[in-house]
Amino acid sequence: MRKSLVAITIAAAAVPMLIGIAGLPRPGDPSAAVHTHVAAHYIAQGAHETGADNLVTGVLLNYRAFDTFGEVMIIFAALAAVMAVLPRGATGLPGGGAAPRIPISPIVAFIIRLTAPFIAAFGAFVIFKGHVSPGGGFQGGVILGALLMMLSLVLGRGLDRPLIPARSARWLQAAAPLAFFVVGMLGLALTGAVLGYPAEPGRELLRELMMLFLEIGIGVGGGAIILGLFLETRGE
Amino acid sequence: MNQVFDLVMLALLIAMALAVARSKDLVAAAIIFSGYGLVMCLLWQHRGAPDVAMTEAAIGAGVTTILVLLAIGRTCRREK
Repeated sequence: MRKSLVAITIAAAAVPMLIGIAGLPRPGDPSAAVHTHVAAHYIAQGAHETGADNLVTGVLLNYRAFDTFGEVMIIFAALAAVMAVLPRGATGLPGGGAAPRIPISPIVAFIIRLTAPFIAAFGAFVIFKGHVSPGGGFQGGVILGALLMMLSLVLGRGLDRPLIPARSARWLQAAAPLAFFVVGMLGLALTGAVLGYPAEPGRELLRELMMLFLEIGIGVGGGAIILGLFLETRGE
Repeated sequence: MNQVFDLVMLALLIAMALAVARSKDLVAAAIIFSGYGLVMCLLWQHRGAPDVAMTEAAIGAGVTTILVLLAIGRTCRREK
């Protein structure tokens, strides 16, 4: 009885979805609607209009900057939710108490210390070169976040004495929304539109700096938030 | 050749998704899910989306797995 009910529900959800997919244009079809409206304009004019050779970055930080602002707010809200929901030092196990700590192997610790500077350089490279090559704030931020997670395994001393002091961690975790606020207000002052970029010739450097500032904000904020999620979930 | 690569990857994705859903050992499921992220990353790269592939490799195959493992560590390893 229950199994057939599950099957019917899945079928009821899957059939409209498959019909919808069947109605989509073939992937890469040049006459598809997505390729004939804004995308054609982005591809033809994007690099010139946004100053970003990597069109993905151009769309993320320029044409669709407001959507990206929403994304960084979601990531920030996720950390806030985890902090609010997870109690410190408690586990879901009956009886409570933190899970037994397993000391980290010296081999792992050595490898982490050895590779850390290279990973940090790679993360910074991905953030700074995001407007010309694949990558950008989100990708570089995750690389930095993963690095901080690894380092906090070796160097971290729990929530009481974390890798980054709690006071500065709060600001770093809010770096992405703060960077959007600064650039948005700067755009308002310069062009009369929130998150607007100066487009006239001669001010390309300013536009590039604004986008770079956003990338750094997203990267630092993302890395700090991932470290925060890790520490809060570990909850020691 | 391109088609074959995509089909193999998609078949792997389906197999891994089923394995994650069927596994009673949550740690095993988390590791298979990490492999799912890795295959997804290769697929993104192959479909010409290197930005998404980088994010998938770092988040899907890396950070998510660690967060899920931590969550399992705070609760219970076996599904009842």
